[in-house]
Amino acid sequence: MSDLQRAFAKAKLSSYPATMPPTIPPFIEADEEEEETGHFDIESAELPHDDDSSSASSASSASSTGTIIPSQNQKLFARPQGSPNKRTMDQIPWTTYFERELFLPSPSADTTITHHVYLTSPIGPSAPLFITHHGAGSSGLSFAALTSELRKRLPNAGILSLDARGHGSTTISPSQETEILDLSLETLSSDLLTVIERTKLQMGWETMPPLILIGHSLGGAVVTDVAKSGKLGNSLLGYAVLDVVEGSAIDALQSMQTYLSTRPAGFPSLESGIEWHIRSRTIRNSMSARTSVPALLKHDSEIRSSRSWTWRTDLAATQPFWEGWFIGLSKKFLEARGGKLLLLAGTDRLDKELTIGQMQGKYALQVFPEAGHFIHEDLPEKTAVVIVDFYKRNDRSALVLPPKVSDMLRAGKKV
Amino acid sequence: MSDLDRAIAQLRACRPIPEAQVRELCHKARELLIEEGNVVTVTAPVTICGDIHGQFHDLMELFRVGGDVPDTNYLFMGDFVDRGFYSLESFLLLLCLKVRYPDRMTLIRGNHESRQITTVYGFYDECLRKYGSANVWRYCCEVFDYLALGAIVLGASNTLEPSKRPVGPNESSTQEYINPDTEIEVLNSEGGLISSIPRQKPKVFTSKGSSPAKTGPPGTGASSFSKGTAGNSSGAVLCVHGGLSPLVDTVDKIRLLDRKQEVPHEGAMCDLLWSDPDEIDGWGLSPRGAGFLFGADIVKTFNHNNDLSLIARAHQLVMEGFKEMFDNSIVTVWSAPNYCYRCGNVAAILELSEDGSGDGIIARSNGDVNRSDGGIMKEKEKVLLNGPARRYRVFQAAPQDSRGMPAKKPVADYFL
Repeated sequence: MSDLQRAFAKAKLSSYPATMPPTIPPFIEADEEEEETGHFDIESAELPHDDDSSSASSASSASSTGTIIPSQNQKLFARPQGSPNKRTMDQIPWTTYFERELFLPSPSADTTITHHVYLTSPIGPSAPLFITHHGAGSSGLSFAALTSELRKRLPNAGILSLDARGHGSTTISPSQETEILDLSLETLSSDLLTVIERTKLQMGWETMPPLILIGHSLGGAVVTDVAKSGKLGNSLLGYAVLDVVEGSAIDALQSMQTYLSTRPAGFPSLESGIEWHIRSRTIRNSMSARTSVPALLKHDSEIRSSRSWTWRTDLAATQPFWEGWFIGLSKKFLEARGGKLLLLAGTDRLDKELTIGQMQGKYALQVFPEAGHFIHEDLPEKTAVVIVDFYKRNDRSALVLPPKVSDMLRAGKKV
Repeated sequence: MSDLDRAIAQLRACRPIPEAQVRELCHKARELLIEEGNVVTVTAPVTICGDIHGQFHDLMELFRVGGDVPDTNYLFMGDFVDRGFYSLESFLLLLCLKVRYPDRMTLIRGNHESRQITTVYGFYDECLRKYGSANVWRYCCEVFDYLALGAIVLGASNTLEPSKRPVGPNESSTQEYINPDTEIEVLNSEGGLISSIPRQKPKVFTSKGSSPAKTGPPGTGASSFSKGTAGNSSGAVLCVHGGLSPLVDTVDKIRLLDRKQEVPHEGAMCDLLWSDPDEIDGWGLSPRGAGFLFGADIVKTFNHNNDLSLIARAHQLVMEGFKEMFDNSIVTVWSAPNYCYRCGNVAAILELSEDGSGDGIIARSNGDVNRSDGGIMKEKEKVLLNGPARRYRVFQAAPQDSRGMPAKKPVADYFL
């Protein structure tokens, strides 16, 4: 046990009320084991990070354990907890949404990262592949609800949703106990490219299908970076960025740590984790929350409190990378080749560059005033409609433009 | 003082008028607009303005620079609302002026004059905030549906009239440098000369028998020639918010549209309000997600077939206020300085002066005024009509009174 862990354990133990029984609802444990067997070996690797976060916020965690609901939202959820018409908070497995999962090992000098992706293959040579990259602290299942809406409208479309490193079921071995996980934009971008290449290899695709990149938040920065690099060549039709704008993201970073400290450090069960996401309106769609939230939490048997379901990703520890994710995003977004779609929640928080770009008609903008930050989880259907429309406009195989004047003259037509 | 004048005075002070008055105003405006065709005919002199976007104080600055209504004849090319904080006051003032001086004020529709767009980009929220209900927004949207889709400016001179604006003591008077050969003149907000470009020799000459394929009696070509006053001026100027549509090859096709509806997602009406010119050949996909991109060949062919010398349009932010493209066959005019209170751009308005003397374009159109003789146009022999003489007045954002300015948008609490 490292010094850090010892220090943490001490701090943590002293903060526990003596009466709190360290019980865990047994049926959840069983569920979890069934669900997660086979790709759970990263747990030990991630432990130190989680410890960090908990100890860093231990001052506030004592108070935050008292309530699940952030205070400003309290009135919105006035209904008592034990309401008789309580909705189910059971989790929905990923198999409901995706055809398969892939584990794609990618060895480097001293470590092997095993990328975990969810995949539904495109059917036929011209069917598009939507590649989704989630935001920080989220997982590939964040897009599950969106994928089923996309497939309703484009039954042949494929979807590839990855877990970024340090998130979901993507693992690194040997586990980097002490180092801070490298979540720089550069690394995440090259991870995305690796995943796309390896998926193509593993699935035996002869050519790359037409690609649409979709990134949410941090993921938006990653897909924009990849689009700007031009490394996907001609197969990239366009890229969609969900609810992230450089200017306002940089502004919001200052208050991020405060925000993070208001989150509970853990939950007594998966169901209560799901419930928190819904009640705090972090995710405003219970179907999606029941799918995506389980991938955000892990059971930590070393924690001897009732809140033994903790975050898989220690967001606070990723702070050194935050600025790097977003600086230069607007410029890259406007400059990269391919169709561009920006989908925002709430109001349009465009920065100067994007305001000018928008009014010069350089990209398509959609704002969903009623959505929260997890726009694709809150409104999967509306998001899918916009993205399908975006794809159809940028689908080169279907694009028929009116003739050019010079062609008409050559054909001897009057113009 | 009539109620209308009182409303104008109140709106000029940037104070909204009561809901009942808005209702009455919108009703009157609809009665007036329903009589207008999809393409309004406007006679020069006229001052053409681009996007306003609710920047009321900058609209006041525009009137200061361009002259007040009804002294100046104005044509606004849409996008009156959204984004700025005073969409309501700006649009209602323009509408009041339209009702009060119908012949001195022309309003055409922009892509933001739509229910769907205004609910997202601010006008709806502003109405709700200022009136507590969406009624006013609804009245305004009904007016939007009646706004014309375009305008044709006839009788614009190919020489500039002396600037009427008073000039500062240290500025040289525009009277002194006015030159009959000036094609483009750019003035600052005080009437001082920034630049002046003399008219080029006609760029392309036509040879005998290379006139456009155009049949039918005069008047079908939507041109200044339809009045039979051949050569009285330069060709006509088409004003439209966005640009051209592949479904519209003549101005008459615009006249045939059923415009009294919400802006559709596709089709000719949508394209006219959404398209952009671009340095491409032919038509292209618009990154906006609506409308098209169109290249120089499209504009030149369209202008030629319709006896137009220029298309004036708005819709795109231009940092310099205006931008001429494709051998001066199309111009973008942008009239919202420091757009969104943060873009740092200047704005411009375009003045076309009246052709009074009758010594218009004749001498410069190679004598071939009767171009409607039905020949077949050969490639690279297109006649580009000389544009009217154009005076751009460039102006900056008005000093902002921060009072009444809504608070900055709240910072998002979660952005990772």
